[in-house]
Amino acid sequence: MDPYEIEFIGENRIISIIPNFSYDKIYLICGEFGPFRAGLPLNVPLWLAIMLKQKQKCRIVPPDWMEMDNLENLKEEEKRSRFFTKMPNAHYMVEAKLILGAAGDDIPNSAEIKTIIKDIWDIRMSKLRTSMDALMKSGGSYGRLDHLTMMEINSVKPLLPAAMDDLLRIQMMAKKPAPASLNNSTFSQSGNSQNV
Amino acid sequence: MDLEDDIEFSNDEEEITADTVLKTLQSAWQNERLAPEILPHRNDMVECMLGQIQHMERNINKLPKTDLRASIHKMELSRIKFIICNYLKTRLNKIEKYCIPILNEEKQRIDSGTNYLTPSEYKYAQEYLLNLESHLKTVVLNKVPNNMQTFEMSKMAVYPNLQTHVFLQANETVNGVVLEDIFGDQDEEIDLEEGSQHILQYKPIADLVKNGKVQLI
Repeated sequence: MDPYEIEFIGENRIISIIPNFSYDKIYLICGEFGPFRAGLPLNVPLWLAIMLKQKQKCRIVPPDWMEMDNLENLKEEEKRSRFFTKMPNAHYMVEAKLILGAAGDDIPNSAEIKTIIKDIWDIRMSKLRTSMDALMKSGGSYGRLDHLTMMEINSVKPLLPAAMDDLLRIQMMAKKPAPASLNNSTFSQSGNSQNV
Repeated sequence: MDLEDDIEFSNDEEEITADTVLKTLQSAWQNERLAPEILPHRNDMVECMLGQIQHMERNINKLPKTDLRASIHKMELSRIKFIICNYLKTRLNKIEKYCIPILNEEKQRIDSGTNYLTPSEYKYAQEYLLNLESHLKTVVLNKVPNNMQTFEMSKMAVYPNLQTHVFLQANETVNGVVLEDIFGDQDEEIDLEEGSQHILQYKPIADLVKNGKVQLI
């Protein structure tokens, strides 16, 4: 899938906004939202929040996980752990990008937050590359990747599945006794690794 | 004006389903995008959603153009239409690409009442194949020596690669998924815990995708 499609899926997440207008409840197909009261926070889907923000009809309340302290902890933990840590939000990158892009002025320290989220992303991507390398070297055809977000998974497509397909094809050609480790490997850094 | 009531009413009536229908549709779209083969159609969901969209559009037209609600509703409808269009297009692409095996398998499935294609998709597939054949005949086959003129369906067939690797998330715990060892002697069993994510071959989990126990990601 294309990154914009992942973004599209991420846009369904619910976040909090403070509208500057008052309106009755609105009944959407994906649920009912409101009533809108000027100055009082309420929950809406991200796409609606961005749209209202662009029309300058609301302020976006930064989600809890997007606070500097929480992000610092997250980054430290991500650095310390061999495994992927569970992210506070399954679409953290999408949410951060959209909120910081459309509503940077609503978020205190938006520049620092942007940098630290990018750092977390970079640490995770480098772990992902190392695990992919290990998986391919062990000739595995199965891996477990708990806690990876959709955007992260999508970023290794089509490379990883295609490489595994090719490896399988080569193995089928060779058809000679397999090393004992075949199919046994898991993503060494993903979640609890005893899965097979 | 009874507009407010109208919108409210339509939603109350469908309240139990509208949101669920949308979610089902979205996961069907995601699976269809990511699975190598064609999946059983969810025409019930598509039809239901199209009805809902029409109803909404009629109501939006009654609103003044500048009304904020109108633009919000329009935006939501565009998002849903995108999912439906993309879903149907993805299916048509697969039907064109794997036309011959899909038709062959579909004939058996229709007999047992477990068809994957909607009647119109089936018709489209048949016509596509006929057109392909007549096109090849007029352009090439009729102009080559007699012994090379036959249209050999089996040699034209393109099959989806079911052994390709896919990413998935388990919607519920599934125990004992057998990963076939290509050398045939050391099959492995794995358990998919609810919420866990994996990369593995499509073939052993194809049925789990079709019955909704796992979601492709």
